[in-house]
Amino acid sequence: MELYELNLLMMTEGLKAKKFSASEIFESCKKRIDACEPSIHALITRTDDTMPTFNENGALAGIPTVIKDNLCTKGLRTTAASKILGNWRPPYDATAWSKLKDAGSILMGKANMDEFAMGNTCGNSAFGPTMNPNDTSLVPGGSSGGSAAAVSAGYVPFSLGSDTGGSIRQPASFCGVYGLKPTYGMVSRYGLISYGSSLDQIGPFARTVRDLQLVMSVISGHDNMDSSSFSDRPHDFSYNEKASVKGKKVALVKEFADFTLDAPIADAMKRTAKILEDEGAVITEVSLPVVSKYAVACYYALAMSEAHTNLERYDGVRLGYTVKDARGIKEMFERVRSHGFGAEVKARIIAGTCLTEPTRCEEYYVAATKVRTLIAQEFTRAFGETDYILQPVTPSMPGKVGEVDDDAMKGYEADLYTLPVNLAGLPGLSFFTGYAGNLPVGLQLIGKRWSDSELLDTGIILENHLGSPRIANGGVK
Amino acid sequence: MAELTFTPVIGIEIHIRLKSDSKLFCSCSTNTDAPANTNICPVCMGLPGTLPHMNHRVVEQGMRAGFALNCGIRPKSLFFRKSYFYPDLPKGHQISQCDLPITTSGYIEVHDADGNLKKIRVHHLHLEEDVGSLHHSASDGRLEGADTSYVDYNRSGTPLAEIVSEPDVSSSAEAVEYVMTLRRRVIYSGASDVELEKGMMRFDANVSMKCSDGRWGHKVEVKNMNSFKALERAIEYEIVRQKKIMLQGGEVIQETRHWNDAKGITSSSRVKENYRKFIVEPDLPPLYIDQEWIDKVAATMPEMPDVRANRYVKDWGVSQEVADVLTDDRNLADYFEDCVKAGANPVRTANWVRTEVLRVLNEKGVKISDFTMKPETLAGIVSRVDGKKLSTTQGKEVFDWICANNGGIDEAVKALGITEGGIAGNALADVIASVIAANPDVIDEIKSGKDKKGKKLKFLQGLVMKETKGQAKPQEVSEAIEKALN
Repeated sequence: MELYELNLLMMTEGLKAKKFSASEIFESCKKRIDACEPSIHALITRTDDTMPTFNENGALAGIPTVIKDNLCTKGLRTTAASKILGNWRPPYDATAWSKLKDAGSILMGKANMDEFAMGNTCGNSAFGPTMNPNDTSLVPGGSSGGSAAAVSAGYVPFSLGSDTGGSIRQPASFCGVYGLKPTYGMVSRYGLISYGSSLDQIGPFARTVRDLQLVMSVISGHDNMDSSSFSDRPHDFSYNEKASVKGKKVALVKEFADFTLDAPIADAMKRTAKILEDEGAVITEVSLPVVSKYAVACYYALAMSEAHTNLERYDGVRLGYTVKDARGIKEMFERVRSHGFGAEVKARIIAGTCLTEPTRCEEYYVAATKVRTLIAQEFTRAFGETDYILQPVTPSMPGKVGEVDDDAMKGYEADLYTLPVNLAGLPGLSFFTGYAGNLPVGLQLIGKRWSDSELLDTGIILENHLGSPRIANGGVK
Repeated sequence: MAELTFTPVIGIEIHIRLKSDSKLFCSCSTNTDAPANTNICPVCMGLPGTLPHMNHRVVEQGMRAGFALNCGIRPKSLFFRKSYFYPDLPKGHQISQCDLPITTSGYIEVHDADGNLKKIRVHHLHLEEDVGSLHHSASDGRLEGADTSYVDYNRSGTPLAEIVSEPDVSSSAEAVEYVMTLRRRVIYSGASDVELEKGMMRFDANVSMKCSDGRWGHKVEVKNMNSFKALERAIEYEIVRQKKIMLQGGEVIQETRHWNDAKGITSSSRVKENYRKFIVEPDLPPLYIDQEWIDKVAATMPEMPDVRANRYVKDWGVSQEVADVLTDDRNLADYFEDCVKAGANPVRTANWVRTEVLRVLNEKGVKISDFTMKPETLAGIVSRVDGKKLSTTQGKEVFDWICANNGGIDEAVKALGITEGGIAGNALADVIASVIAANPDVIDEIKSGKDKKGKKLKFLQGLVMKETKGQAKPQEVSEAIEKALN
């Protein structure tokens, strides 16, 4: 067995027991990246040229990682997979990254993504697409496709991504790793290049649920630099041996019952429900009528409205891509933004601009904020009746790389299972259930706000029954 | 046919820089005089990934300014993103409370044309961040056509309060009184220094005209006034311009006009105002202010200047004019009241502060806070003059000496050779005797009756006054000389 194949817990324990050294881990991971990267292309920037010094006493001492390239890294190019950021080197570290660094983690690279996290294929990147390590002809999912692929292919034992409408959970499912979208406010967003500020949340990918716990214990917590990060109570992400689902209620969503699912996903739903039942949980049903009817429209209205204002700062004045020969400021703005942004980003900026335009603002943006309140209330009611909601991450298995769907709305609707979770600020765990042929199949378990640690406890129970994913072939012949 | 009359309908928007050591959403210094782009950080530069976080001290300053305008405080207010593109606006949107502000409505009292008090209603005050500042290399200083433009972000994110009035203002005089009173009250509250020359107060005016024949002209927004004088002139100009159009039967176009201070005219802004969109700022939670916080800040509010002036007039009999001068500066009024507390007569102290203290401050070009004479000392001088221990002239000499030398009153009296209560009786007789002894020729002339016009006698009186340093009463001196000669 190669060292890169070890999961995070085994690496930290082995390092503590001096079974191997951090530099041996580093070299092994680097070799793995060298072998897979040409066919996977999970990284926009590699930072594994030489091994840096690290905090040897930290909780993640010597553990290699990659983080999504929308997380700011001091002095290191950060692109959000967009041409418009050029060779920008942030003068500061994102809080989540600085916590990892303080804990001794070593950065191997910045992960590819859909430009500004807009997309679910990792194909909307100014640096080209990332491929699924289980089958390089397929997409890894998105927008955190690079982060998911890197963990799946064994580049690193864990990584960070961000989830605005499913951008952690969907690629985790497609690549066959675990991914947690934490409760909104659990992890500081400071230094995360914003897409939809009220929906964005940073979270981890790993090959075991216990590894997610380890990462969450490092990156969660209040940050003065992020007014939306909370410190209502300390969250304990340590392993809970006594965790059980006995007597807990796990609900399926009534309105989703008739929706068509790809066979492996429908099968996984049945198997998982059976496992939970056998463990003593009560399988029940909740009704989410507003979610099923309006969540997609509500989500895109809000995400695009927030996105277009978040992206107003890219004007070529202070940083990134610019033009030198514009005549006047108006021409400069127009040219920088026309050439700097990719097509999908421009489409969403235009949509957001229209949705918030003074004559339509009430009808769309303001209405969406009201629907969002209804959706949050609907979930609160549902979680009065159940402890968890079990549902798919996506209705279908990953598509082919480069496959263009003429019906853009189909892509949007594929997000129905993931984006309500962001609208309500809930924690969602994307977990591995097994393989259909070569391809991993994931599902999603959703908890009430701030139940992240209990959600992971339950995830461990599921992992014990369903088994952990193997490291993907990574395109290596 | 009756002649048409016009009533101006004017609303005023004011931007005031709130006093704070740090910016609204980050901890950078608000010192905008520092070298360009030295007081900046990722947050006020709007760098990707940064988030604003609320400076609660500034919230308190906003509350103070609100109290100064008789506004209430809203228990929950929101921040919005006000979008437009400009190089000095780092995020492409300004964070502003425009739609759900921190205060409810209030008012400021001014005098109307008949001298009666009139309330100008304040619609609200809201908090927002300022933008950076542009420096152009083009000769006319404008952005369009400049070869190169530079942006200084030191000002970006410094806290502003925008104060929006109802259209209750009916003349340029009312407008000026409104902004002056408002400024004085805000300075008093400690919420802002409102130093006009540093651009800490900027005005926009909405002007329209109501005609006696029932016509009501469109609203014109006039921008770019940075002084009271500019505000007054711009409004005057607009009133005349709009009246002329309406008299000729024309229609005033609803538009934004730019005040050109050098030319003394307003001109149509050729650049179409960017239409602005607002969404709730998702990176800031609603601003909640509970009653306890409101009470705590309200308890720090000083008595407002106009209230204070009225008290001087009513309780102490100080004239309105002097009371207004004294209360113009909170520290000056405090100084005056400290003198009164030390036992001096309020009316006379008021005059002393108004004439002598302000004269010295003017001469030295300093503020009352830099004035070294203790209130007790001034009170002592006033009391001694009151008790006739010092003449008014001597009092002023003592005042000046203390200003120059920083001593006490007794020290000053001694140094100036003043005998308190003046020189009279035997002491005066001694002085006269020595003057007579020193001038035998003059005495002879007087005694021989040659001094028919009394010139020589006056000469002797002058010598005595000089010897006594003016501390003898002239009447007593002349009587005593005559007595000594006879």
